Amino acid sequence: MSTLVNSAGQPLVPGGAITPPDQAFFKDLNQEVSDKGFLVTSTEELFQWARTGSLWWMTFGLACCAVEMIHVNMPRYDMERFGAAPRASPRQSDVMIVAGTLCNKMAPALRKVYDQMSEPKYVISMGSCANGGGYYHYSYSVVRGCDRIVPVDIYVPGCPPTAEALLYGIMQLQRKIRRVGTVER
Amino acid sequence: MPVLHSAPKIASNEGVLDALVAALGSKVVSAKEEHGEIVLTIARDEIENALRILRDDHEYQQMMEMAGVDYPSRPERFEVVYMLLSVTKNHRIMAKVTAAEHTPVPTITTLWPNAGWLEREVFDMYGVIFAGNKDLRRILTDYGFEGHPFRKDFPLTGYHELRYSEEDKRVVYEPVKLAQDLRQFDFMSPWEGADYILPGDEKAPEQPAPAAAAPTPKATEKPADTGAGDKANEKAADKESAPAPAKTEDGKAPEAPKETESRPDDTRSDKGDAK
Amino acid sequence: MSMQLEQSPTTGDEVITNYTINFGPQHPAAHGVLRMVMELDGEIIERIDPHVGLLHRGTEKLIEHKTYLQALPYFDRLDYCSPLGMEHSYVLAIEKLLNLEVPLRAQYLRVLFAELTRICNHMMNMGSHIMDIGAMTPNLWLFEIREDCLNFFERASGARMHSAWYRPGGVHQDVPLKLLTDIADWLDTRLPELFEDALSLVADNRIFKQRNVDIATVSKEDALAWGFSGPMIRGSGIAWDIRKAQPYDVYDRMDFEVPVGTSGDCYDRFMCRAEEVRQSARIMKQCLREMPEGPVASTDRKVVPPKRAEMKSSMESLIHHFKLYTEGFHVPAGEVYVATESPKGEFGVYLVSDGSNKPYRCKIRPTAFSHLQAMDFMSKGHMLPDATAILGAMDIVFGECDR
Repeated sequence: MSTLVNSAGQPLVPGGAITPPDQAFFKDLNQEVSDKGFLVTSTEELFQWARTGSLWWMTFGLACCAVEMIHVNMPRYDMERFGAAPRASPRQSDVMIVAGTLCNKMAPALRKVYDQMSEPKYVISMGSCANGGGYYHYSYSVVRGCDRIVPVDIYVPGCPPTAEALLYGIMQLQRKIRRVGTVER
Repeated sequence: MPVLHSAPKIASNEGVLDALVAALGSKVVSAKEEHGEIVLTIARDEIENALRILRDDHEYQQMMEMAGVDYPSRPERFEVVYMLLSVTKNHRIMAKVTAAEHTPVPTITTLWPNAGWLEREVFDMYGVIFAGNKDLRRILTDYGFEGHPFRKDFPLTGYHELRYSEEDKRVVYEPVKLAQDLRQFDFMSPWEGADYILPGDEKAPEQPAPAAAAPTPKATEKPADTGAGDKANEKAADKESAPAPAKTEDGKAPEAPKETESRPDDTRSDKGDAK
Repeated sequence: MSMQLEQSPTTGDEVITNYTINFGPQHPAAHGVLRMVMELDGEIIERIDPHVGLLHRGTEKLIEHKTYLQALPYFDRLDYCSPLGMEHSYVLAIEKLLNLEVPLRAQYLRVLFAELTRICNHMMNMGSHIMDIGAMTPNLWLFEIREDCLNFFERASGARMHSAWYRPGGVHQDVPLKLLTDIADWLDTRLPELFEDALSLVADNRIFKQRNVDIATVSKEDALAWGFSGPMIRGSGIAWDIRKAQPYDVYDRMDFEVPVGTSGDCYDRFMCRAEEVRQSARIMKQCLREMPEGPVASTDRKVVPPKRAEMKSSMESLIHHFKLYTEGFHVPAGEVYVATESPKGEFGVYLVSDGSNKPYRCKIRPTAFSHLQAMDFMSKGHMLPDATAILGAMDIVFGECDR
């Protein structure tokens, strides 16, 4: 593996460095496939790979955060780079992004959608209102955090969180899935 | 007073008030012009007729908005305010009626179809009844909501909150339990007419029985609530640090989250942690 | 040869009953949390009963418990596609009660950013309208414009969406000169390029026209009776624009046209918005040309807090700052109704003050309330898929509809 150098020939500091793909690793894989025609891996790794690589998310846009949630899908941030594609049907989605204030009238519908999702399922709570009521915490008609209704895996803070913040939240969720790494959830 | 602000400029109010009062005659209870707004208070039973006259004879074609207001100290505590707009005369006026809980206001859905939802909203929020509205359901609040939330005596946090119950497998309603009460600070200057007596004010006209203080916000009242005390002192005196995290079954310590990869070389370590 | 009418298959005594479907509250074309109970005869809509309130957050009640300044950010969160348009009505209502003069530069800045907000809002609405009809690409380009707008908001106020930048008495902070020049460049290059490109894909597109022309036609009389405003009333052919008729801030100095539709259908409403974007760009250019120098907020220290630098040396400034951010300012008793032309229509604030530091009552007049109410009569007799086109052309956002 070659080291990157700057114009003066000095090796670049790791902080700003571009990590090149591990050539040796890829070569080995390639060799194995062409030699044997199959690869061997553990089921855990296979499941993690499948789960993190294609997180289809259920659009649950409720309020202001929904706008940032749309922005993260649009060309500038392009969340599909991470395999996370919007899916408007609960049956086919893996993760629900609760974006916005959850009100009492909406809460049963939220739970119903969550119950319809197939296992394994994850929930990202986006924004202060979904995290804990936020600016509307003391209102008579607001659920003080969507974790009162559904179990939440990742909380993204902000009012609203920027598109980058949500992107980071998705990456954190992928990391979490990798760390838990069991077949059963 | 000269107009300094830059709020929307409508056609001149001059003479409009007198003309409208003259046209509506005895239907008007009172009329005023303040802050550049013409406000007509109209007898409750006559509101439909009065608004019809305003719409047909005085070119106020649009009813843009209907607002309820609650003044609990008045005998008829609610006000319903209608904002009328004339597109041709480029003018706005407000008309209002007063109402109590049990005195229905005649509906104006006969004049403007969009009054339907607006009346539903005032009914939902204040409990004002509109006689003749065929569809007076709740509109904004939750299905099965009780009470009228915008009344001044309705608490901000309401009476019920929601939770998903694992036992019942459904969303259940429970009485409100707040981790921290809503804190309302009274920032009004004491010398600008506060209605309580300042502590230590000896020249106050009379020493009342301990002033009925506003409901006190939740605070640490008893020493036991603070978490301080012998127990905590003992713990603090304990020299030992907390035990290491328990081993998991397979003998490995619970894994700490890995460092984020993008962090540049940690230069802080050589600056020294004192230890 | 005469036409033979096909006999209806149910000529016997079978009775076909209408059926009812539930649209929403979680539906990607519902633009938020709308639930509609639809009664259908085959695929023809017979009756629609929209259920709103699924995002009812009790904003008006919360405002009664906050000081005037603390309540301001609630307005950003009402119509979250055009936050500054909402703030505009609220600060003007307070200023009207206080009879407070706003410096000229602040008025220009407000108009500049109100128009930027309008562009931002229309990008969102037109994009999603097009997408509901079935086209994807224009939306991607329009959102690129929106992304630029959000950058400008961020550079002015520090927040991408919820700026809280308009304050009673002016705006919170002055903008750097570079931001103004960048906006001018953007108006000359990127905006027309992206916008006209995106529009050229749909404006004359056969499918887009088939889905929108003659859908949900609203006559002038109906538009007046149902309390329409904004592009909805202009689409029906009434040249009513509060910026023109009842100018606020420096709109009376601005030179712009009011686009008006001819037939009052969804296509006219869409094209009104498209033309409004061009007119907004024109207003913004004029603002940038004429932008005066001077303070950006009133110097009345009983309402507007002093600059931070002043507080370091002046005791009086420090006291003013402390009082304004704890007690807040007092507003004279009275009641006003102030309505401005928000991107979606007439957005009004009915503010009742009892002379204290908190609003006694703050009724918000959402644009969507009267528009959505007309959904029933507008879609009667249309096909089920037209409902999304009608909804898209209405420009509904539930933050303000349900409050």
